[in-house]
Amino acid sequence: MSNKNKIFFIDCSKAIDCCNKSQYEEASFLDKAKLLLHIAFCKTCRKFTDRNSKLTHLIKKSKIETCPEEKKQQWKEEIKKEYAEERT
Amino acid sequence: MPAHSLDPNKWVDRYSDYLFNYTIVRVNNREVANDLISETFLAALKSAKYFKGEASERTWLISILKRKIIDYYRKINSRKGKAEVKINYSDDYNEGEWLEEQVADQFDRTAEDEMENNELGLAILECLDSINEKHAEIFKRKTIDGADTEAICNEFNITPSNLWVIIHRARTALAACLEKNWF
Repeated sequence: MSNKNKIFFIDCSKAIDCCNKSQYEEASFLDKAKLLLHIAFCKTCRKFTDRNSKLTHLIKKSKIETCPEEKKQQWKEEIKKEYAEERT
Repeated sequence: MPAHSLDPNKWVDRYSDYLFNYTIVRVNNREVANDLISETFLAALKSAKYFKGEASERTWLISILKRKIIDYYRKINSRKGKAEVKINYSDDYNEGEWLEEQVADQFDRTAEDEMENNELGLAILECLDSINEKHAEIFKRKTIDGADTEAICNEFNITPSNLWVIIHRARTALAACLEKNWF
């Protein structure tokens, strides 16, 4: 591949990397453009991109949350203490 | 030999997010949800000797949590009449038109949507259970908490390229699991 082509055309592994980063808004505009160009020709990456975007949509739709870290630590200590008492 | 065993020291890491998402949609109050989860863990420890190993740890914890949620509603509705839903059908202004007003709006599916979305959230967390524990943790920090790439790399002592490989693997496994279990 000539240097000029390298600017516009990316291989599948780079396309997948761009696709993952773009799910987190961490792909640059140029990378997104390269990804679009790549998936226009590559069916496998097009499918992967569709699936990946769908997953992002589902995660957002589910509105899942994680517990705050301090709460987790508090529960861990409570369990540890109680567990030790139960065993003695 | 029982199919499942208990490991209380891993409960928080493994199940607290699942229990939290299960509870929050049912009680709609973070403080109450946290208290119920804490009570669930302690009750589970006390009755650990009765665990037969037929159900998974998570199913067992959920069954205890369900009782805690029911007890919570019993407690707040303990005063007679508090739990009754009163609907006044007769209205001087709209006499005869109440039927149309009481008909459910078929486009207003908010409650059902909320429940369905919560079930989807639980399905996602269940699927994350089946992948590497550390990868699931990193995936959650990045995707659910929205933490910075740099912050996660420092926290887990990994390079950004490691992080993206882990994210890629987790996403691929999660998509496959959801296709199998959700659709």
